[in-house]
Amino acid sequence: MSTVPRVGPRPRWLDPIGVLGVVALGLTVWLGLWITPPDRTQGDLARLLYIHPPIATVALYWVGIVAAGGSLLYLWPRTRSLFWDRLAASAVEVGAVFSALTLVTGSLWGRPAWGTWWTWDARLTSTALLLILEIGYLALRRVPADAAVRAKRCAVAALLIAVDIPLVHFSVDWWNTLHQGGTFIDPGFQIHASASMSWTFLVGLVAFSLIFVWLLGERYRIEVLQDAVGDQLLEVSLAERWSEDAALVGAGAPTAAGGPGHGEGSP
Amino acid sequence: MRYVDAGYAVALSTLFVYALSLILRRRRWERAYRATTPPADPQSAAGRGERS
Repeated sequence: MSTVPRVGPRPRWLDPIGVLGVVALGLTVWLGLWITPPDRTQGDLARLLYIHPPIATVALYWVGIVAAGGSLLYLWPRTRSLFWDRLAASAVEVGAVFSALTLVTGSLWGRPAWGTWWTWDARLTSTALLLILEIGYLALRRVPADAAVRAKRCAVAALLIAVDIPLVHFSVDWWNTLHQGGTFIDPGFQIHASASMSWTFLVGLVAFSLIFVWLLGERYRIEVLQDAVGDQLLEVSLAERWSEDAALVGAGAPTAAGGPGHGEGSP
Repeated sequence: MRYVDAGYAVALSTLFVYALSLILRRRRWERAYRATTPPADPQSAAGRGERS
């Protein structure tokens, strides 16, 4: 009888979220490229506003909340569960994709707006650092270890990554940067854009957020299946080893390794 | 407009490729899980001629 818990069915809510995300993304592209007017100062370049800040919002805040929150809840003894560890790991992988996209779309905006693809500006550098730390987290996760050890190690790493998030957010206030501060929404939550631009930005934010939730759900499912297959294979190999051992004991031969009932330290 | 078009193209195609890779990875792991896990109901295994 297997002691490995069975994996439940794929959640039903996942695909509707994905479909909604794709529809909202299509709407963002249509509104962003064809419907909204060009900006007074930046002209058509301002159309990147509908994808770059929403992607950055997901990369920074949504990923930060899920990864740091999940890691904290794993480290907290009362809420410790591999669910939180898997959720945080899934968020970091999806986050690495969004961080890379933040840098690429930002670079494509920076070249015509600032005249350079890249500059060692505080906002850009701290965002690049975020991507490097996320890749480091994913590498750490591949280091072979017991599930609990790996989870604890990765939770600490995720919390260290989270330190970079306020650094990215406040970099435009703390340092004199080429990257502009909050020009679209100011600290008082006043929007400085026309209604069509504001709505398109909002649709873009919803679209990328829904896509993030769908990707997170799919990635989490993979994490659960990977763990279940690993546990199942381990159980099968242990059972084979014990049955080989039992056969050797039955034949009167010395055993090479301990199994249940006849291993080292067994009563 | 070419920087704007490039930005949209890179963002959408990257997300599409990543989503596709996740679907393929998930299906591969589901197959692996089914292959390594004994059926929950021994009756159904016996019905298919498998040793329960």
